[in-house]
Amino acid sequence: MSGSSRLDRLLDERGTGQELGQYVVAAAFDRSAGHAAFALGDGTVRLVALSAGTEWTSVTAHDGVVLALAADATAGAFLTGGDDGGFRRIDSKGRVSEIASFGSKWVEHVASAAAEGEGRRAKGGYLACAVGRVVHLFDTDDGKLKALEHPSTVSGLAFDARGKRIATSHYNGATLWFAAAKEDSPRRLEWKGSHTGVVMHPDGEAVVTTMQENALHGWRLADGQHMRMSGYQTKVESLSFSRTGKWLATGGADVVVLWPFFGGGPMGKPPVELGGGAGELVTRVACHPQQDLCAAGFADGSVMVAEMVSDRMLPVTGPGRGSVSALAWSSDGATLAFGTDTGFAALIDFGKQAG
Amino acid sequence: MAEANTDQVPVTVLTGYLGAGKTTLLNRILSENHGRKYAVVINEFGELGVDNDLVVDADEEVFEMNNGCVCCTVRGDLIRILGGLMKRRGRFDGIIIETTGLANPAPVAQTFFVDEAVRANTRLDAIVTVADAKNLPQRLEDSLEAADQLAFADVIVLNKTDLVTAEELEGVEARIRAINRFAVIHRTQRASVPIAEVLDRHGFDLQRVLSEHPDFLTDDAHEHNDDIASMSFEIDRPIDPEKFNVWIGTLLQTKGQDILRTKGILAYANENRRFAFQAVHMMADGDFIGPWKEGDPRRSRIVFIGRGLNRPQLRRGFESCIAG
Repeated sequence: MSGSSRLDRLLDERGTGQELGQYVVAAAFDRSAGHAAFALGDGTVRLVALSAGTEWTSVTAHDGVVLALAADATAGAFLTGGDDGGFRRIDSKGRVSEIASFGSKWVEHVASAAAEGEGRRAKGGYLACAVGRVVHLFDTDDGKLKALEHPSTVSGLAFDARGKRIATSHYNGATLWFAAAKEDSPRRLEWKGSHTGVVMHPDGEAVVTTMQENALHGWRLADGQHMRMSGYQTKVESLSFSRTGKWLATGGADVVVLWPFFGGGPMGKPPVELGGGAGELVTRVACHPQQDLCAAGFADGSVMVAEMVSDRMLPVTGPGRGSVSALAWSSDGATLAFGTDTGFAALIDFGKQAG
Repeated sequence: MAEANTDQVPVTVLTGYLGAGKTTLLNRILSENHGRKYAVVINEFGELGVDNDLVVDADEEVFEMNNGCVCCTVRGDLIRILGGLMKRRGRFDGIIIETTGLANPAPVAQTFFVDEAVRANTRLDAIVTVADAKNLPQRLEDSLEAADQLAFADVIVLNKTDLVTAEELEGVEARIRAINRFAVIHRTQRASVPIAEVLDRHGFDLQRVLSEHPDFLTDDAHEHNDDIASMSFEIDRPIDPEKFNVWIGTLLQTKGQDILRTKGILAYANENRRFAFQAVHMMADGDFIGPWKEGDPRRSRIVFIGRGLNRPQLRRGFESCIAG
């Protein structure tokens, strides 16, 4: 890490970092941006109260690997999935409770749709987890609503911004479900091949998947138009829509790739490329929830925040602590969390005034 | 799979027909006091006696790659499972993947050629096929998979030898040899074979390609056109790498569906290092390995295991690669 001190300035001045010694599988914030969490390869989660800042609490969530982490539907809590078959909740005090157990099957993806209102009086909202070919849907009291069956293993899971629809990815395409539908008649979005992850456009206009081949595939929902986005150096593991849905940021190349989702794009439009030059692969991207900024994590461990379109870069950390494997913004956009495959994790406070 | 990376976790693929003794072998591997820790990927929870090891429940989910290669099928579930296991790195000495009795081993092997993360973190060590000495002849009659499993094997555990006569055993081993002359065969009862003969074989290691085949040039007559056979060719004049690439590339593109495995060690013109080559169907991998030994003949050798192999055509093709 010598020689990179200038690049580490933000981490040094505004960050708190720790060497955790375990693969950081995911980072997330709860819905009120009061807590951050890091899911680790040894089955534990590090819970951090952002107001307290420096105290990181270790919570044993799973016997094995924490495979998935997401904010719960209500504020203050998180959902986790593990290779011990558990779908669990961690509250702000670090208490772990079981929502459901699936025995020998892995719980590989978890997600939630926000409930309206606060605390115990919260209404609506959903919890979901993907276990093999089935997505299990729960209400916020952990009551099982239904099981959504797929033709092959579900590789990705995402609610739309309004929490009404669930998009899933699997072999030969994606599926779109209405969470509240009494009778399930899902919309099948077909494209041959193995789809490995899914995101939804913030306005619900499109579904985009990552693929085993070095490409993305999308469907414009209004008319079913296919969108092919290719040209990557490697398999794309991370993608994130900008807050307005104008841009789709992705990793998978030695630049941040921004596909335009306006003016007829992305079909027939070249993507905008941000950063690069060091030749390092972008492994994780996360768009800022309130501004046209995109955080990017690289295979050499460095992290930067780029201003979209203008191409201005702000280094967050320099290289040297593993490959970035987790990256997330808090919902208020004030805190950035990242983690690496060798076990470094950090929180950067963008909210406090400089000086 | 090019360079030997000590961080790569070895993966052993265990195939064989239902009832051949796969589970017995697996239990033997896991229960033997070897002080190692394995993750085992199986399709159904059977009677596995595992305490220290992790058992992962998988579905054999095969998909076709969209790369215009018709036989390029891959196990997507393995990509996910191996990715999950790698997040707890350092906790396994090896991974064993058991396939169902009817499975074709090709998609498992091809997974290790296709996915970059799988290639970076794990290495396909060997395909081990358990065959039942008593029932194998019948299985070869009534299914294609039985022959495929033998053809892909680096190690064959010929089990239940106590259930057949000495003549029957010779007969069944001859049938195996007709399909795959290059696998190591272990005759066993109750799948009793030393673990070192099954795990860490480096069967897909370019460094070890063709290194364990002393009977390389034994006579391989009597292959029937539609049966799986193995054929080998040898040339003692230097090879032109460009000619070889054109020939093998075209051959695997056009005949790769029928050619199950290819392995070769090549002496390129004006090159002191050996070039090792291997392929599973159309998916190929090759790299320079160490230099030729001083005084050893610089002989290029190539082996094909496949269906309907045309010996004169393959020989002419290989000979057309001689540097001019």
